Amino acid sequence: TAPLALALDLPQNFLLKCLEQVRKIQADSTALQEKLCATHRLCHPEELVLLGHSLGIPQARLSRCSSQTLQLMGCLDQLHRGLFLYQGLLQALAGVSPELAPTVDLLHLDIADFATNIWQQMEDLGVDPAVKPTQGTMPTFTSAFQRRAGGVLVASNLQSFLEGAYRALHYLAEA
Amino acid sequence: LEDCAHIRVSTPIVRLGDPVTASCTINQTCSSLGPESQIVWKLEAELQPGGKQQHLPNGAQESTITLPHLNHPRALLSCCLLWRGSLQILDQAELQAGYPPVVPSNLSCLMNLTTNSLFCQWEPGPDSYLSTSFTLKSFKSRENCQTPMGSIPDCMAEDRQSHCSIPRKHLQLYQYMGIWVQAKNALGTSKSSQLCLSPIDVVKLEPPTLGALYPSPRKDPPQPECLQLHWETWKPSLYMEQKCELRHQPQLGEAHWTVVSPLPSTVPGYELCGLLPSTVYILQIRCIRWPLPGYWSNWSPILKLVTG
Repeated sequence: TAPLALALDLPQNFLLKCLEQVRKIQADSTALQEKLCATHRLCHPEELVLLGHSLGIPQARLSRCSSQTLQLMGCLDQLHRGLFLYQGLLQALAGVSPELAPTVDLLHLDIADFATNIWQQMEDLGVDPAVKPTQGTMPTFTSAFQRRAGGVLVASNLQSFLEGAYRALHYLAEA
Repeated sequence: LEDCAHIRVSTPIVRLGDPVTASCTINQTCSSLGPESQIVWKLEAELQPGGKQQHLPNGAQESTITLPHLNHPRALLSCCLLWRGSLQILDQAELQAGYPPVVPSNLSCLMNLTTNSLFCQWEPGPDSYLSTSFTLKSFKSRENCQTPMGSIPDCMAEDRQSHCSIPRKHLQLYQYMGIWVQAKNALGTSKSSQLCLSPIDVVKLEPPTLGALYPSPRKDPPQPECLQLHWETWKPSLYMEQKCELRHQPQLGEAHWTVVSPLPSTVPGYELCGLLPSTVYILQIRCIRWPLPGYWSNWSPILKLVTG
């Protein structure tokens, strides 16, 4: 069925909460980026592209969430997998620095909350995958600098992911 | 050095008005104990008749007493000996009396975005006269909070406090949790009724910052019956969709509030008209998470402005 019809299966409350959670995580992520910039002068992810390649930071795809090719259940699944991936990446950043730790922890908590919200909705719709996703190989940050640079790259990738998620959720909420 | 005397109490903590039985054993080694030494009981400062005294095979003497009704929440029971005309205190025991904890009532919770914690408070009920601990218990769940899906550490209220805050790291803001209060003292345990909530749905915001907007010289002069205002969302709630309401009243004798609603949560410039010219007005604004659930913020501090 057309994605819009499927959107009707999603409670409006769920979509409103998701949109709010995306905005909250965006705010958390912006806070992390601002602190990395203020404290460590790491302000531009484009200065860290080369390092990013060497660190091998995976990115989450939202191909089934773009409005042209939106497949609702596939989109929810990709959203959940992406959030799950970012939980793993944030855990890999553990020990980044005492000043940043509270911000990273809060970001991790909010992402985990959002992932749980999506997973429970998939369960309610009966489309939850038989097996919960397992974490792939995570980058290894071998120095304090790499953790901070990794933080900039992860936060930047997360913002792009969230923008895609927001567009899809907004599209569904308006459906 | 073996104790001179020792009191044993059946139950040191009883319900107010219940009986208490105690026995005091005085060892032979306790100075030159004459065969007819009389053991005397005192409760606080009052002598207590009715002690039954007996000799024990090992030469010690033991007195047993039952106080029919202990009506003091706290009382010191003393075991004394009449010795050379004076009453010698040989041992003391503290007795306590009170009631089992009453069921805590009116449990309510607010999600505080400043402290990022779920603040819950309750009515402890009448004093039980005993040291009573209050514990906020909760579990993660799905919508109806019937089936626990994950544990949450207990939140122990501080002594004599009837509130507790669950920190963000133990919360899932957008998931449901069952939550109740347990009261416990030496005489029993009681449990409040259970709430079922998701923390973010009981968020209470702080009001926006309300201010006057001073017209720029290049623009037309402000109309006498209007006020130029602006307000800005409370930053920690920027990500939330909200609605607000503004109330105003002239500072005149019998004035009443006029409420303007609904209003958005951030407005760079707002013109409030239909007012009395050359009059002092007091204004306040408050907001609430909307359309998703939440609680109204308090009213903002009063803003006092004068119309043209």
